[in-house]
Amino acid sequence: MLKRSFAVALALVMVVAVFAGCSKPAVDTPAEGKSDKYGGIFRMAVMSDPPDLDPVHATDTSSSRVLYQLFEMLVDLDSEGEIVPNLAESWTISPDGLTYTFKLRQGVKFHATTENGTPTANGGRAVTAEDWVWTFNYITNPKTNSERAYFLDMIKGYQDYQEGKTDHLAGVRAIDDSTLEITLEYAFSPFIAVLAYNTFVVLPKEDVEKWGAEFNFHPVGTGPFKFEEWVQDDRVVLSKNENYWRTDADGNQLPYLDGIEFKVINDLTMEWTEFTLGNFESIEELDDPYYHEALSKYPDSFFERPQMGTYYYGMNVTLEPFKDNKKLRQALNYAIDRQGLIDLVRNGRATPAKGVLPPGMFGYNENLVGYEYNPEKAKQLLAEAGYPNGVKLTLQYNSSDAHKRIAEALQQQLKQIGIDMELKNVDWGAHLDSVERSEVPFFRMGWVVDYPDPDNFLYVLLHTDNFGPNGNYTRFSNPEFDRLTKEARVESDPEKRRKMYQEAEQIVVEEAPWLFIYHYTTHQLLQPYVKGYELPSFGAYSAKYYDVWLDN
Amino acid sequence: MSTYIIKRLLAALPVIAGVIAVVFILTTIVPGDPVRLMMGQRGDPATIERIKEDLGLNKPLWWQFLDFFRRALTLDLGKSYRNNMPVTRAIGQRIPLTAKIALSAMAIAVIMGVTLGIISAVRQYSILDYGSMFVALLGISAPTFWVGLLLVVLFCVKLGWIPGTGTGDGSWIYLVLPVITLGIRPAALIARLTRSSMLEIIRQDYIRTAWAKGLSERVVVMKHALKNAMIPVVTIIGIQTATMLSGAIVTERVFSLPGIGRLSVEALINRDFPVIRGEVLFLALIFVFTNLLVDLSYPLFDPRIKYDR
Repeated sequence: MLKRSFAVALALVMVVAVFAGCSKPAVDTPAEGKSDKYGGIFRMAVMSDPPDLDPVHATDTSSSRVLYQLFEMLVDLDSEGEIVPNLAESWTISPDGLTYTFKLRQGVKFHATTENGTPTANGGRAVTAEDWVWTFNYITNPKTNSERAYFLDMIKGYQDYQEGKTDHLAGVRAIDDSTLEITLEYAFSPFIAVLAYNTFVVLPKEDVEKWGAEFNFHPVGTGPFKFEEWVQDDRVVLSKNENYWRTDADGNQLPYLDGIEFKVINDLTMEWTEFTLGNFESIEELDDPYYHEALSKYPDSFFERPQMGTYYYGMNVTLEPFKDNKKLRQALNYAIDRQGLIDLVRNGRATPAKGVLPPGMFGYNENLVGYEYNPEKAKQLLAEAGYPNGVKLTLQYNSSDAHKRIAEALQQQLKQIGIDMELKNVDWGAHLDSVERSEVPFFRMGWVVDYPDPDNFLYVLLHTDNFGPNGNYTRFSNPEFDRLTKEARVESDPEKRRKMYQEAEQIVVEEAPWLFIYHYTTHQLLQPYVKGYELPSFGAYSAKYYDVWLDN
Repeated sequence: MSTYIIKRLLAALPVIAGVIAVVFILTTIVPGDPVRLMMGQRGDPATIERIKEDLGLNKPLWWQFLDFFRRALTLDLGKSYRNNMPVTRAIGQRIPLTAKIALSAMAIAVIMGVTLGIISAVRQYSILDYGSMFVALLGISAPTFWVGLLLVVLFCVKLGWIPGTGTGDGSWIYLVLPVITLGIRPAALIARLTRSSMLEIIRQDYIRTAWAKGLSERVVVMKHALKNAMIPVVTIIGIQTATMLSGAIVTERVFSLPGIGRLSVEALINRDFPVIRGEVLFLALIFVFTNLLVDLSYPLFDPRIKYDR
């Protein structure tokens, strides 16, 4: 699907279809009374408080879940992960792939009121191209210290602006009120996909300047819901934006819901218990022990699908015993029964990983030559690797019951071929720190995409440029792989690009810096009366609730 | 009296400074970089460096330590790394809920504990004594999270008397289970302590004299014995209250309550240094003040103790 986007996007000049009020059709459409859909509060139990309601500083899914309702990007991803117009109605790309011209949607307004009817500083005015120019400048301003500004480092003038050589971001300008132009330093194929990331939203200058750092506690955007209240570690309350631009297929104003309440219930057992009591319309996570019960109780309102993410154990190729020992790394990959593991500890809720890229991702290779479960071959490779009598390894993982269950199951599997895997758990901060500093030979890790493109997997996690905090924790380095993934970044022909990524991925699989384990699934459990919901393949946290309604 | 209070408060200053110093050292020794955690799983080194610089994390530890105290004098404890909220506000927002739960739990614990303790002591080796001490032993031994879960299953799920966890619509009904959960252990502790303290006292000569004078049981027990038995009990009440005021981590987690304890846990996980330091300062102050209050209350129970010299 994504392939088509790129084909269209990058072949000279293209215009993406315009969908006014676009969006997905509601799953259940009652024959009578459209107005029946209006009203109600959607209450959702979430595991933790969002740290950031200021999109410029948000880096986590807890924050994103709320931000998607308050703010909007130029483009968005539909439930299949395909790029669709959002506040940009359409766009064109110059033949050299350097200049993007966006036609902005008319009639989009910032929130006029917030927090119990208090007027916002912007007064509910319309969004213009100048607002986008201001926002992009604000995000990339070094003084703002946006954690995700570097995602835009391909925009012309980014480096100069960051280093203080210029006072603005040269590559972004307003042609007129409804036309925005972005020029890149170098052609970057996944650029449009990057713009779907939830930091790159339009912000009202007046409110950002009024609140300063406190904007985090008084967010104002253009989204279908407005900010009402945030009680730390307890709840975030949003209310309907009456001036929202989107309408449904019948021309009815969206959203249907009167509001959303995200309530922090930081225990999965309690989340499930309260859900069964009817205290919530949805919960963030259905824990494995309640999976079968949920399936039988809520067969039509439990959604699950593959997610663009991969769970793996990294093997640092610069540290013993993995250094210069491809056979040991391969032996591990042959030694584990992925499907058995998934069935045993994940209730079958994952897809075995043959390689790095998850199914559904552009460039995913059905015919990838991966590792089957073959203990005999594993033993043979282990002997060839210099460990005929087995080897002792220590796996470091970040403390969590789920990671522990997986590690224990794999510990048993590896024992079969003579690998004695000790387990060491540390908290996430210490884990990340030691792994990035190249102090841990064998570690758990996982990755879910920031933007749906293989670049965000292969280049980011395995290219030599990205050692350490940038994402390459195994310090894998291969010149041919580096060349392919670097060239693929600027390649405009989708077919060529796909081939490059497939070739690159095959190199990683052969060199085995990872123990490939499984690809994630994403899920959401809803009460049966919640209608119009579609589970996004990008992850349940990115669901939008503008056309969700309650049939009760 | 006031000289005594001033002396005590001055003596507390080095203690508080010492506690903060230890926290400063510990937070730097523990692996895990707060700025790195802010960045999510990936971050670009240039931004990480710049944020560190802005937060003063590249400065020497002694400088950060002195800066903390300099600003603490103006009630500025810095801002949370995690969400930029001033630490005084973050703590301030959570005090009412934590105080409400802690003080209610303590009130129940005192009433129940002292009552059970007296009955057990007065009726030593009776069924009542064995019964209440068995319950007290259970109360001390049962893990808080287990008690909490059990209460939720019983009262929310099976009986449906209480709507759920969290703060709900803010009504008192939501606080019933957390208060019980939190109060059980101190109630048990107080009961056992009251019993042993009372047993010691009722064997004293002056109690025998009181009985010999023909005083009623109520007067002997409540006026002569209990008052004298209360000193160790009050001490333990003080310590327990301070502990609960500094956050009931397990109870707050089981019932998803946004109190001081949850703030501490989140701050530790995220290496949110300003919040950790602010909380430790808060905790130290709570202990200093409760201990002072406890000491000041001693003359009420034993007139021989005087502070006015």
